[in-house]
Amino acid sequence: MSAETPTTDRSASATNRILDVDGVDSGYGEVQVLSDLSLHLNEGEIVCLIGPNGAGKSTVLKTVFGLLAPWTGQITLRGEPIGGRDPADLVRDGVGYVPQVDNVFGSLSIDENLRMGGVARRDGLEEVIGQLYDRFPILREKEGAKARTLSGGQRQVLAFARALVMEPEVLLIDEPSAGLAPSIVQDVFENVQTVNDLGTTILMVEQNAREGLRISDRGYVLDQGSVAYEDDADQLLDNPEVSRLYLGGADYA
Amino acid sequence: MSALLQLLVNGLVFSCIIVLGGIGLSLVYSIADFANFAHGDLMTVGAFAAFVSAGALAGVLPDVTFFELPLALYVGLFVGMAAAALVAVGTEWLVYRPLKNAGSIELLITSIGVALAYRALIQMQFGSGQRSYAIDRQGRVEWLFDAVGVALTPRDFVVIGLTLALVVGLHALLQYTTLGRKMRATADNPNLARVSGIRTREVVLAMWIIGGALAAAGGVFLGIDLLVRPRMGFDLLLVVFAAVILGGIGSVYGAMLGGLVIGMAHELTPAIPFVGVEYASGVAFVLMVAILLLRPHGIMGEPA
Ligand SMILES: Nc1ncnc2c1ncn2[C@@H]1O[C@H](COP(=O)(O)OP(=O)(O)O)[C@@H](O)[C@H]1O
Ligand SMILES: [Mg+2]
Repeated sequence: MSAETPTTDRSASATNRILDVDGVDSGYGEVQVLSDLSLHLNEGEIVCLIGPNGAGKSTVLKTVFGLLAPWTGQITLRGEPIGGRDPADLVRDGVGYVPQVDNVFGSLSIDENLRMGGVARRDGLEEVIGQLYDRFPILREKEGAKARTLSGGQRQVLAFARALVMEPEVLLIDEPSAGLAPSIVQDVFENVQTVNDLGTTILMVEQNAREGLRISDRGYVLDQGSVAYEDDADQLLDNPEVSRLYLGGADYA
Repeated sequence: MSALLQLLVNGLVFSCIIVLGGIGLSLVYSIADFANFAHGDLMTVGAFAAFVSAGALAGVLPDVTFFELPLALYVGLFVGMAAAALVAVGTEWLVYRPLKNAGSIELLITSIGVALAYRALIQMQFGSGQRSYAIDRQGRVEWLFDAVGVALTPRDFVVIGLTLALVVGLHALLQYTTLGRKMRATADNPNLARVSGIRTREVVLAMWIIGGALAAAGGVFLGIDLLVRPRMGFDLLLVVFAAVILGGIGSVYGAMLGGLVIGMAHELTPAIPFVGVEYASGVAFVLMVAILLLRPHGIMGEPA
């Protein structure tokens, strides 16, 4: 099954690896952003990617999702190489992506946005959209309204729901809480948690690092395009150095 | 009063032609992201393809006419639409797709070259002279003239009726079909379209087919209204651009509205005191500038 050498220790978590990013360099045109970046997702996890602005967090998601082609290194989904494949194919292979900005079709209605999220579905579209309306009643309420009329928080819900129409196995989410009022941030994390409970593995970029790590199993700290720290989420939260450098000082919560 | 009504009706026929040209121009702008200067010549391609096929079919098909136009010309219209759609798709494959990393300005300049190529090929085949569809042009519809004092020919009815049908059909496609939603989604946010799993290549193809076919219909209607000439589409292009920009470039509905307004303005010029008919295009542009001063992104356009 695995192409790894026989000497490798096949622990349970290693066999449950769903996504593997191995030694990837990537960037925009001539500008390199990621260098020798490695990370992985085990089935069922929430993994949080934190780090300062401009560290390359969004670039990681874009590279995994095929919006940027990796320059070197390998990206595999359940052992299959996916580096450089078209996003439209990845969607069909069970990967979803919620971009940080411009993540709804503003001139389309809420309902049409959800339908666009499901263009690659073969069947069950109406059923899944119905379930999403049940879970996010605000969307049903505004079904016919243009997405650009939604508030920031509602927009984030729609962006999230759009990606869920495909019922992805792996979901990449870029800063779901960015720019939202503190009162709604908790709702966003709850939604992420719920989707994870229903079986979706999640890789999430968060600026609200402390909050993000709290709902995560593991975390990676990205700095200048490479992984500076990787650990269980609670270990990262407890790590004084990580706390000082990346979490804005002592734990105040 | 009835003189003004007459000018409005004349304007409606011209509006139909502008609208059909404008829709494709706006679609290309919204989905392929450039101003296509070959779009006028695509109208010419359609008009000539209809001319050739209608001529060839004239001896084959039964010699019947509907609203003074021969059956062969109706079939020619469809052949012209298909031919222009094919030429548009072929051009995309041959020219624009290999340039997919080029910017909007590079594509615009390329499209000027494409326009010249279309026209050169047509002139090689047909010379630079003008032709006429085999229409037994009769006068106005008498009962209409008696009733409201407006002179309208049967062929005007055809142009207005078929344009209406095409516009309504396009509206239905855009609003109520999956392909239409995908087209709107791709125009709205191409990156999110890819992220959602939309195969944007298919959307781009559909866009060229629709834009090309409608341009051809506009070209054929212009040929029915006047004559078929190798420069017919190119000469019309600036007015079509004015209409599309006025309506809000990138918006199909803006193109419809802009086409209507510019077509009317064009034909209403004689009604303006001291302004001669030769300034018709000028008046259309003045109107465009006036509206852009009030709404910089056009009537239906949205800020980028
Ligand atoms: N489209 C782009 N073109 C060129 N450089 C970019 C682009 N997007 C981001 N960058 C650069 O790449 C680096 C990493 O950006 P990004 O991955 O967005 O960081 P983060 O998400 O961690 O804040 C930054 O220096 C940024 O300026
Ligand atoms: Mg980012």
